[in-house]
Amino acid sequence: MSSNTASSSAGSGDSSAARKNSKRPKYSKFTQQELPACKPILTPGWVISTFLIVSVIFIPLGVISLFASQDVVEIVDRYDNDCIPAPARTNKVAFIQGAAPKSCNRTLTVTKRMKQPIYVYYQLENFYQNHRRYVKSRSDSQLRSPKFENQISACKPEDDAGGKPIVPCGLIAWSLFNDTYTLSRNNTPLAVNKKGIAWKSDKEHKFGNKVFPKNFQKGNLTGGATLNPDIPLSEQEDLIVWMRTAALPTFRKLYGKIETDLENGDTIQVTLQNNYNTYSFSGKKKLVLSTTSWLGGKNDFLGIAYLTVGGICFFLALAFTIMYLVKPRRLGDPSYLSWNRNPGGGR
Amino acid sequence: MIILCCSNIIFFLSLDQIIIGDQVEIARVIKEEVKKELRKSLEEAQLYMHTVAGPKLALVIDGKCLMYALDPSLRVTLLSLSLNCTSVVCCRVSPLQKAQVTSLVRKGAKKITLSIGDGANDVSMIQAAHVGIGISGMEGMQAVMASDFAIAQFRFLTDLLLVHGRWSYLRICKVVMYFFYKNLTFTLTQFWFTFRTGFSGQRFYDDWFQSLYNVFFTALPVIVLGLFEKDVSASLSKRYPELYREGIRNSFFKWRVVAVWATSAVYQSLVCYLFVTTSSFGAINSSGKIFGLWDVSTLVFTCLVIAVNVRILLMSNSITRWHYITVGGSILAWLVFAFVYCGITTPRDRNENVYFVIYVLMSTFYFYFALLLVPIVSLLGDFIFQGVERWFFPYDYQIVQEIHRHESDASKADHLEIENELTPQEARSYAISQLPRELSKHTGFAFDSPGYESFFASQLGVYAPQKAWDVARRASMRSRPTVPKKK
Repeated sequence: MSSNTASSSAGSGDSSAARKNSKRPKYSKFTQQELPACKPILTPGWVISTFLIVSVIFIPLGVISLFASQDVVEIVDRYDNDCIPAPARTNKVAFIQGAAPKSCNRTLTVTKRMKQPIYVYYQLENFYQNHRRYVKSRSDSQLRSPKFENQISACKPEDDAGGKPIVPCGLIAWSLFNDTYTLSRNNTPLAVNKKGIAWKSDKEHKFGNKVFPKNFQKGNLTGGATLNPDIPLSEQEDLIVWMRTAALPTFRKLYGKIETDLENGDTIQVTLQNNYNTYSFSGKKKLVLSTTSWLGGKNDFLGIAYLTVGGICFFLALAFTIMYLVKPRRLGDPSYLSWNRNPGGGR
Repeated sequence: MIILCCSNIIFFLSLDQIIIGDQVEIARVIKEEVKKELRKSLEEAQLYMHTVAGPKLALVIDGKCLMYALDPSLRVTLLSLSLNCTSVVCCRVSPLQKAQVTSLVRKGAKKITLSIGDGANDVSMIQAAHVGIGISGMEGMQAVMASDFAIAQFRFLTDLLLVHGRWSYLRICKVVMYFFYKNLTFTLTQFWFTFRTGFSGQRFYDDWFQSLYNVFFTALPVIVLGLFEKDVSASLSKRYPELYREGIRNSFFKWRVVAVWATSAVYQSLVCYLFVTTSSFGAINSSGKIFGLWDVSTLVFTCLVIAVNVRILLMSNSITRWHYITVGGSILAWLVFAFVYCGITTPRDRNENVYFVIYVLMSTFYFYFALLLVPIVSLLGDFIFQGVERWFFPYDYQIVQEIHRHESDASKADHLEIENELTPQEARSYAISQLPRELSKHTGFAFDSPGYESFFASQLGVYAPQKAWDVARRASMRSRPTVPKKK
């Protein structure tokens, strides 16, 4: 049974013919799934070093954020209950809807030096500006240009008054906050600058400078403030601020800013008009004076979150190091393969 | 010739007797014989099953015997005997019997069956099994047309099962789990929001953001994952065929795995929602301005898109440049879309909710701080879980990855060696196959050249050695085969 040279030469002649007729598809790394790839293996080294890097980055950021937040001085004063005179407290709704004088005097004490500008906010609680029917009750096209004055379909029920369209229409505008605050310090009035409180993009693009309020709050129910019909909407900054609907039921909105420093120990007298009815839904009203930092107002969450996560990562790095030392496993130890661990469990 | 190994036992079942008599009587007698043989073999097999280091069992049964053994009354015995054996060889079977045997195993043993064949006689068998594979080639294309998968040579079966089948299982599991995870995370953030809207049904995200989430911002990376994911390379898959067990045990799609992904989705949605809504209360920059609903929701959406896309990189075992391109590209697509969408107003907009929102967001330091914090905290949970799981409860493929972690990709070595020269053996085989053939194609030899090759070969002066089974077949037929003239 020896091989035959004749047959092998015949074979090689035919094999070149075989290759010419080959149906093999064109080779490409993509279709043959041989793209160069990074094959990361999450070894203990990687896990521990990732935790350490995260904690090294996060802890300083947390410290920075927390310092920024701690630098902010904030005074919060809840006045909705106290500003109802004692005899009327049994029926607050009747009081607020009645004609009685609603002015109220509050005193705030400054406990730490506040550098200007100091921002004045009103804070509402349990007020669902994010309710679906409320959020959709507006007409942005109407706000932008007088040409679209009649696009009021989404604004029901506050869309027209006596057949004529309301500008600005909708529940959001109708419920405009109307408490006012007059501040004074040591009997000298503190000027509250009400310009520049809205986002520039809103003022320049969303609220037109040729649109004027019309037929506003002319219905049976007054929801909130009235608007001066001679001032165009782009300059009605209270309205603009109010119409940027808040995300959660507890929110603050910018009222104005004070451009003088307040010293430690100053007493601020606030004369406020308690007009806004939050009593029918057990809402709360608070007056807030706050400075800001480069990161914003007094919100420790970011700083605390960074510090906590950085700390947790550091602790985890230590814990994993200890775990890997106590229960080591050699990388690539074949005895961990399931068929080596249960030798009989094959077949 | 079948070679007996002293540690293996082979059961032969074939009918050699010639019985003269009434047909019905003959059939009954034969059936009794077959029944006795089967029972005897089964008892013997069961004896060996109970010994731990027992010999391997094999069953050889021929078509005539199988005709009786597939009778409904004897089928069960045949099946239990076959399941006790390591391998069963059925020879001289007709196509119908092939299909019957396959159905017997499929329905009786309730296992997943695979059948492979190349001729028209294999079609019914291919269709009777769960997975039918046809080999295209010498015997024609009938088997290929009836099959679920077609391959060109029998030896490609190892690649089909151990490499591509395994990868396919892994990829499908990962893609399905990821899809559920990313949608669950996205939807749950809106769910947490409903608690704070007085359950009025206000949507958290802008309509277009929501609609395009699955279309543009998270679609491509998972496609790339499904195309390119490999746990170990092709050559390692073949070197460790036991890795196939992971598919048999369904290790990547158990309820436990689903629960882990669902928990991760709940955790990530909570982090994205709570961290942003809590930290965005109050003044947001040094000018004391306040965010509205759409600012907050756009920030949550951005953190979500980043977290969900980077998750792909955490779950991939092999990261190609397409992964980077699609993950980075999806996040970039989101930002570009936000820039464009928030920058324009059309008369068709009913409400310009998100007008200019992204620019407002990006003008604050808070945005960047939140963007660094939230995705990293979201992914931290999964990272910790993966680290612990790999160390203390590793999967088999992870151990194999670690064993071979220092070997670089031997890309060409993975190839089936198609581009090699034909060996002299193969060259001769090819030459023989070009010889004039018998008209009938039903020779019963599915995977090799016809048995008469030696005859024709000798006629044309090509040397072809005798095949062992050829000689045996001719001997068993008790006919006088033409003795080929050997050179």
